Amino acid sequence: MSWRDKTVLITGATGFIGGRVCERLFQAGVKNVRALVHTPHRAARIARLPIELCPGSLLDRASLRAALGKSQIVIHCGLGIGRGIVDGTRNLLEASQAAGVERFVHISTAAVYGLTPKPGSETEDAPLPHTGEPYCDNKGRAERVVLNFGRRGLPVVILRPSIVYGPYSAWSTRLIPDLKEGRVSLIDGGKGSCNITYVDNLIDAVFLSIENQQALGQAFFITDGETITWGDFIQAHANMLGNGRPLPNLSLQEIRDHYSRQPGMVTGSLKATRDALRSREFRQMLLRIPATKKVLDGLWHWSASLDDKSRARLRSQVGIRPSPPIASNHTRWIPDAETVATQTTSIFFSIEKARRLLGYKPRIPFAQGIALVEQWLRFGNYL
Amino acid sequence: MTTPIRIAVLGCGTITKGEHLPAILRNPHVELVALVDASEERAAALIRSTGLKCRVRTDYRSIWDDVNAVVNALPNHLHASVTLEAIEAGVHVLCEKPLAIRSEDARTCAAAADRKGVILAVGMNRRFQDNHQLLRAVLDEGSLGAVSGYDWQMGGPFDWNSASGFYFSKAQAGGGVLLDYGVHLLDSLVDWFGPVADLHSEDDDWGSGIESNVRLTLEHSGAYGTIRGQVRLSRTYALANRLLVHGSDAQAELRLESPQSVLLHRELGSQAVIETLAIARSAGVSGSSFDRQLSNFVRSIQRLEKPLADGSQAAYVLEVIERCYAGRTRLPEPWSEIGAATGVQA
Repeated sequence: MSWRDKTVLITGATGFIGGRVCERLFQAGVKNVRALVHTPHRAARIARLPIELCPGSLLDRASLRAALGKSQIVIHCGLGIGRGIVDGTRNLLEASQAAGVERFVHISTAAVYGLTPKPGSETEDAPLPHTGEPYCDNKGRAERVVLNFGRRGLPVVILRPSIVYGPYSAWSTRLIPDLKEGRVSLIDGGKGSCNITYVDNLIDAVFLSIENQQALGQAFFITDGETITWGDFIQAHANMLGNGRPLPNLSLQEIRDHYSRQPGMVTGSLKATRDALRSREFRQMLLRIPATKKVLDGLWHWSASLDDKSRARLRSQVGIRPSPPIASNHTRWIPDAETVATQTTSIFFSIEKARRLLGYKPRIPFAQGIALVEQWLRFGNYL
Repeated sequence: MTTPIRIAVLGCGTITKGEHLPAILRNPHVELVALVDASEERAAALIRSTGLKCRVRTDYRSIWDDVNAVVNALPNHLHASVTLEAIEAGVHVLCEKPLAIRSEDARTCAAAADRKGVILAVGMNRRFQDNHQLLRAVLDEGSLGAVSGYDWQMGGPFDWNSASGFYFSKAQAGGGVLLDYGVHLLDSLVDWFGPVADLHSEDDDWGSGIESNVRLTLEHSGAYGTIRGQVRLSRTYALANRLLVHGSDAQAELRLESPQSVLLHRELGSQAVIETLAIARSAGVSGSSFDRQLSNFVRSIQRLEKPLADGSQAAYVLEVIERCYAGRTRLPEPWSEIGAATGVQA
């Protein structure tokens, strides 16, 4: 019996990677696909597929049991917030073990080695460091929980993709408006390693992890195996806009000098809060906090008493819909700390282990991947 | 003052909380008698949060003797059947869109309303927006010259916080963005440009029947002759959210965020100019399209007006939608086909 005849549960199915997993499973002829859906209104992309949408949450064990049903394969793309990343993964592993799941593919991240992985972390045998970044450290903790279940008999595989891009990826959907608004600078000429992974290459690896017995209990870096820099990645997006302007450049030292001149804690915190609130993802996370959601819902309903124009304006400010980007007067945009950390690694992860044990072979190179992204961005009205 | 119309709302989901209930509470000619919902808790919570004193019912059939009219805001699959029951009980109905999932059921409702002499209005609230009426006036005045066509793009990431989650169920929703959102656009287009003589439809349904993106080419034959236009709808992409109507002398633009105005793009001397058209209205007149929709329903019951969107028009729009679904082809998505074309084989 091929794995394609089995029942597959995907978590994080309304997200970028999970959504594409659902599409690829359908395209591969998998008939019984179940999707755990945490936020129903985000399911428009996968709702067009003939798959079972299962409402629930990684933090609600009963919903996980119901979503699993008779699933034999689990592809865990779901995330969570803070420690929820670890707790949610543990809940899903427990439910999967109880349900007799035959293969559990855990989508981890190469960021378990930090936002700026240090030389020496090119291969999977490097020990996981404490990075001080909550996301990275919680993904690392989640990996350890997965491996523990693996040792107790659950057939697990861990994939550690890096900078996954493709249609629907926030890397591109954020970069384009940032480029349009002048909110992008290259750091040190953009020489930092950009360990990109085209989403379909990652999903090839997911499918190989389901098929391959040698993968059990192992973690694998998954990238496109190319030596693309952040300069290449950003410039490829700038080319789509076709304005011909060279990207501004800053040295890492200039950025450090800039931040060392920054005001103290209070002003800095206010600025960081303002920046965070501009992010749609962050606002959506806020909505998951019941009290915040209640206040915003109340505001939303109260807004019905306004005329159509004021209502539309208020509702956009509440953040249910994305607000228009805010223009910058900077000639050279100073990247934030996370961007600096992400774009200044010097290492390229090795995918030799994935090639050897999984038979992984990245089939969509950067030139083709970025062309597909451009087609998609045009269709999606981003360009 | 006449006796208030005794009204109940069926379905206590998002549209009721956000629009219908506030409109009812602002209208002096209606008296809210009951809220009806399959979930007693949902209806009771709405009463608690709004401080209302009306009754809660879980069985809509128990209210027919107690009301003159209902607003039917149940999930789509219950629109036609419950509307028909209300009509047969002699109750006037303002039904949320779409009136039915199948045009045939909408026709049945329209015929029953005629036979029973009750009012059936359909929740096409956009008809009550100023810009809908302004564009009609612009067309009638001939301000655009000869109308050559239109281009309408509407879409954004889906964010409707549905209480029942019925939107992504084919059985309950009946379809995707075309049925959900397209009814509004098609209703307006048919109202402006006349019946749809020909059409071509593409969507991105991969087999569930719940499409998220639609592209239509429509040809109308109406008062302004043959008009061709393009419509694009999306639940996944932020589109331009505007209608452009092209004419030989000028171009009219309707923007989603400005329901009270129409922009006229034209030449003045050798300059391109933009005129903003808005209805001069005294202060205190409600700008809410749901208020106006309810007022039209009430005045129709009082035999002072006719429903702006009735059962027959709704049935016609549903027929157009059925033609779109029947003849649809798949929207090309080359970025999605790549995986299928050369994917890993077992």
